[in-house]
Amino acid sequence: MRRGMAQTGSASSPAGSGGKRDEAVLRASNLSRRFPVRSGVFGRATDYVRAVEDVSFAAVEGETLAIVGESGCGKSTTGRLLMGLVQPDRGSVQFNGKLVGAPGGIPLKSFRQRVQMVFQDSAGSLNPRLPIVDTIAFGPRVHGVGTVEARTRAEALLSEVGLPPRIFARRYPHELSGGQRQRVNIARALALEPRVIIFDEAVSALDKSVSAQIINLLIKLRSERGLTYIFISHDLAVVEFISDRILVMYLGKVVESGPAADLFSAPWHPYTRALLASRLHADPDRRVREAPTTGDPPNPIHPPPGCRFHPRCSMAEPVCTANEPALQEAGTGSRMVACHAYRAGSGHSMAT
Amino acid sequence: MSDSLSYEVVPKVAVPQAAADTPPYWQTVFRRLRNDWLTLAVGAILVGIVSAAIFAPVLAPYSPYSGSILHRLAPIGTPGHWLGTDETGRDIWTRLLYGGRLSLLAGISPVIIALAIGGSLGVIAGYSGGLANSVIMRATDTLYAFPSVLLAVAICGILGNGLLNSILALAAIFVPPMVRISESVTSQVRVLPFMEAAKASGASDLQIIRHHVISNIVGTILVYATSLFSLSIILASGLSFLGLGVNPPDAEWGLMLNSLRQAIYVQPLVAALPGLLIFITSMCFNLMSDGLRSAMDTRLSE
Repeated sequence: MRRGMAQTGSASSPAGSGGKRDEAVLRASNLSRRFPVRSGVFGRATDYVRAVEDVSFAAVEGETLAIVGESGCGKSTTGRLLMGLVQPDRGSVQFNGKLVGAPGGIPLKSFRQRVQMVFQDSAGSLNPRLPIVDTIAFGPRVHGVGTVEARTRAEALLSEVGLPPRIFARRYPHELSGGQRQRVNIARALALEPRVIIFDEAVSALDKSVSAQIINLLIKLRSERGLTYIFISHDLAVVEFISDRILVMYLGKVVESGPAADLFSAPWHPYTRALLASRLHADPDRRVREAPTTGDPPNPIHPPPGCRFHPRCSMAEPVCTANEPALQEAGTGSRMVACHAYRAGSGHSMAT
Repeated sequence: MSDSLSYEVVPKVAVPQAAADTPPYWQTVFRRLRNDWLTLAVGAILVGIVSAAIFAPVLAPYSPYSGSILHRLAPIGTPGHWLGTDETGRDIWTRLLYGGRLSLLAGISPVIIALAIGGSLGVIAGYSGGLANSVIMRATDTLYAFPSVLLAVAICGILGNGLLNSILALAAIFVPPMVRISESVTSQVRVLPFMEAAKASGASDLQIIRHHVISNIVGTILVYATSLFSLSIILASGLSFLGLGVNPPDAEWGLMLNSLRQAIYVQPLVAALPGLLIFITSMCFNLMSDGLRSAMDTRLSE
């Protein structure tokens, strides 16, 4: 039924979807953001950290899209750009084909009702002076729901995320465990009845057993409420378990994307391969014996020329230093990869 | 016996759930205050002083303005004038009661005015950052450049003497420290992750300030304001002592101190009484502020 709602607006969807009807509930187009590095007395910007460059993707209704990559690859900034918590230098976000915060599009406030975010710091993202029921009720009240009704809704949500309101409603954040606090954060996100929830490392700080409980809760909520998830994480085991599609980022750029099953069974981009090879296996026969990549990711202030991964890549050839590979569709299905080795005529010896 | 043994293990497993019914923050503050006998004692003294001032017309045996020149400068313990009389024969007890009204008014209202103005300016500066912050904070620094007492004297000198002008002058000198305190706590709160979460819910800046900023800074600011009360009462008395505050026929502790000054060799104890009251009141506000500070500190709660 939510799909039906999405289709009604298709006639007025803006150009740029290339003739195909835009099925994406959330679409990012060429999002870019650099942060100035200030120095000196007057704080002039002397350099820029290119946190996110030309990131484009679309999340389809009901799917879970994971964004993975090392620390500092720009995945959290991407999440904040999506929410409008950080302003992009270039690029735009569309919700149901409508530009966010632009004239004729969807206003930022109503966008933030449809798209919500759960943060990594479960303690820090709750106001220490508010009982958790008030924290959850704050969102609905901002959007015009009466105090009493907002509180009733908050209590219902508390029990939905597994915290009996009779015991927990009046508690303060410091009286809860990390897992319980993350449940409160999930309830807070749900309180606005969003269609998309962005999880920024939402289970990374929790220990494995608690994290598993939260993941199961997320899967339950997704099917009950027909939610779309953007799941930002560096934890590949969790990502493999929960996601339908994966976006691999390296130094602010998307290097590969595709269905989770394909990507995990046959990674294409050398960085994705290295990332997957670095996972720890429970099976001793598949033990990791040496580090798949060496060295740290290069400085995002001065990214290497050409392909940003070439200094660490085992397949690097002269063309990789000379030209930057574009993210292109490759093979069958909906897989995309940014690597010369998969582009015919790129000059790479492995390209067919 | 084995029942009770196994029972003891259960709460250990369920520690996070077991601490049910933890009281709200302000309730824990009051609980901690209740165990602090010093703060309770100074609180009681302050309540006594304030209610004595409020009920001065009921409690005072004489008129504060008229006295008999025949009974001038009576010592403490004189029948009918237990705390003595001043240089025109007015009853000191009566004048102290009435003087409390003006002294407290002149001492407390500047702090409240400064709290309203400085507090909101500080929240605006701390929350918005950037240009607004620079403008407000640099303007505050300019006011800071003057020594506070001199500034108050200068403002009173320009506006002329009188109760209202001394209140305004004191409010003006308390605004800068108030701005600083509220700016610094607000900018500390502004960068906390829950502010981003509140923003992500689509709330306007005003809604975020009302629900998420104020609740986190009000404790610190109130404690600071309480500590200013003592200073303000002393400065207000100082201004009237210098003849810049309340005008002579009215009773005010600082003014009384000034007029009794000439009698200090004749009746030193009587002359010291207004000063003693100024001292006790400001001391009580100071101790009160210390007590509030420790009662509001959540880190001591566990």
